[in-house]
Amino acid sequence: MDKLRLLIVDDADDNRLVLKAICRKSEDFEIKEAVDGVEALEMTESWQPHIILMDIMMPKMDGFEASKIIKQRYPDIVIMVVTAVLDSRVQDNMSAIGVDVYIHKPIDRELIRYKLQSVGASIRLKTGNFRHLSTKKALNPFNSDIRFFRTFFEIMDTESMMDFGMWLYDKYSAKPTTMVSQFDKVIETFYMLMSQGHKNGDAMSIIIEESYEEFYITIKFDIAIEIDAKLSEMLQEFGEQVIVQGDIVCMRLNLPQESKSIAKETILHEQKVSHANINPLEIKSQAIEEKPQEEKPKVQIFTPTKEIRVIDSEEKVLLHQSFVNKTSAVDYVSELGGDVVNEILDLSSIDEEWEGILGVIEKNPSEENLIYFADAVLNVYVRAINNLFEFTALAYALSSLSVFIKSSAIIISQDKDKIKMLIMLLEHLGKDLTSWREHIFILQDTADIHYVDSSFFSSCMQIEAIINDKHIDADDDNDMEFF
Amino acid sequence: MAKRVIIVDDSRAVIATAELALEEMINTGVIEFKSYLNPMDLLGALQSGSENYDLLISDVNMPQLNGLDLARAIKADERYKNKPLIILTTESSNDLKMVGKEIGVTGWMVKPFSDEKLVKSLKMILGV
Repeated sequence: MDKLRLLIVDDADDNRLVLKAICRKSEDFEIKEAVDGVEALEMTESWQPHIILMDIMMPKMDGFEASKIIKQRYPDIVIMVVTAVLDSRVQDNMSAIGVDVYIHKPIDRELIRYKLQSVGASIRLKTGNFRHLSTKKALNPFNSDIRFFRTFFEIMDTESMMDFGMWLYDKYSAKPTTMVSQFDKVIETFYMLMSQGHKNGDAMSIIIEESYEEFYITIKFDIAIEIDAKLSEMLQEFGEQVIVQGDIVCMRLNLPQESKSIAKETILHEQKVSHANINPLEIKSQAIEEKPQEEKPKVQIFTPTKEIRVIDSEEKVLLHQSFVNKTSAVDYVSELGGDVVNEILDLSSIDEEWEGILGVIEKNPSEENLIYFADAVLNVYVRAINNLFEFTALAYALSSLSVFIKSSAIIISQDKDKIKMLIMLLEHLGKDLTSWREHIFILQDTADIHYVDSSFFSSCMQIEAIINDKHIDADDDNDMEFF
Repeated sequence: MAKRVIIVDDSRAVIATAELALEEMINTGVIEFKSYLNPMDLLGALQSGSENYDLLISDVNMPQLNGLDLARAIKADERYKNKPLIILTTESSNDLKMVGKEIGVTGWMVKPFSDEKLVKSLKMILGV
């Protein structure tokens, strides 16, 4: 088995596109797509995917119905539901059906890659294919290439938090350990972390990574939690054993000496944590060799005021792409086919639509109206600009913005301040696009057509971060450099 | 007295996001904020003496005039020679930064920018 078969089911073209881009990077997947539940069933019969990424709201047959039928016929297929709504009713429905993993919208690229990686490793383990296991990158910030086995928990409610504690307790108390005296503190600290994170109603993932020598518990929150003074004090007590980094809190607990042999024995056996409220994907990679421990980094505890929107490497390339040759607007337009230019010029009709729909949203900020804006305005722009090879960053930016608005529509629509801010920013963006069209295609007065491509991308990213209440950060790249 | 901060960028969205980032400084009267979409307008106003600033933030790639050419023209003027000017751009190439340094710009910040980092840098430059 060289490649795992992954089926992406979503009725929205751009959602599939984004998911596909994410999945292509994370594992060696063969990817196919389906546009609704009916097609998903047909493809499952004929193609037998290992993993299905399933949208819920779809025409013909929704994701619930399709998942239910698929799980009945093929219980081994891993279904990962992608949803913006995760209340207890939805959750109960999905648990009853046997859905394995939930992915929150808006999609966190890093987390989805991580989950896919874990699920992929699990499937390979079951099917006896370990080819890729040794190359996985760990999530904990202490040691990125630990040869680990990994356990994955989705924490949805207080009960599953308790269960995680029990699981952790069992794991330790069953073994004579040097950590016992400290263990209560560990549990207490994790409860505090989880309950603070959970106050916002956010789901969180806990990832345990361990080798013979090392043991890391990482909590990845959907939204960065506020670490209050008390919790900060508790974390400080662990000194260098804790790293708080953006939306991740990681604790390093060295495996007790005595348990080494147990770990070795159990490594090739499947361990299941059996509780209905917890959805552990027990994943154990083959521990191929022991790695020398890396030098411990200095403790980095800080209280982030906001969650950080990290710029990934793919985005950096688009942002900072450089064009060796300058192309004047006159030369560019004369080389483009008339049809393409006409299509761009026709976008002037969209300008009215752009303003009109924003006016409607201002009066009635419903989820539907926001989605309509993304479909009827942004996506029309994307389709036209997709024909222009010189403006890849712009097309990518608008399509990402469209996906963002659609996936966050329900949240944005309930927040008056966000709606107001989004409308204001989109109005400015619309005017920027009009002026871009004028300078390049009508007045043709720019010496280099690339003057604004990356800037649009940057603006769209900035808009997304503002509405998401996040800080943009590209490590040290966007520090002010003083001369 | 409020420090006068001017931003010149051909993108309205960039100006709006910068204004949001500096909102607190504006609302508390620490700075007054003025924006120009066209660098030629700003240059004209500065040369005629009808405009002045304590800190200028400029984009690089603008259709009418490149931000580095704008900086060169401003820095050649005795009145503005020693006033802080920072570049806010998606451009991050070292060659361009070297040009900026030679012209005498104070600092270089890459877009998309972090609100906190922008505010911090401004406070440092303006000493507020």
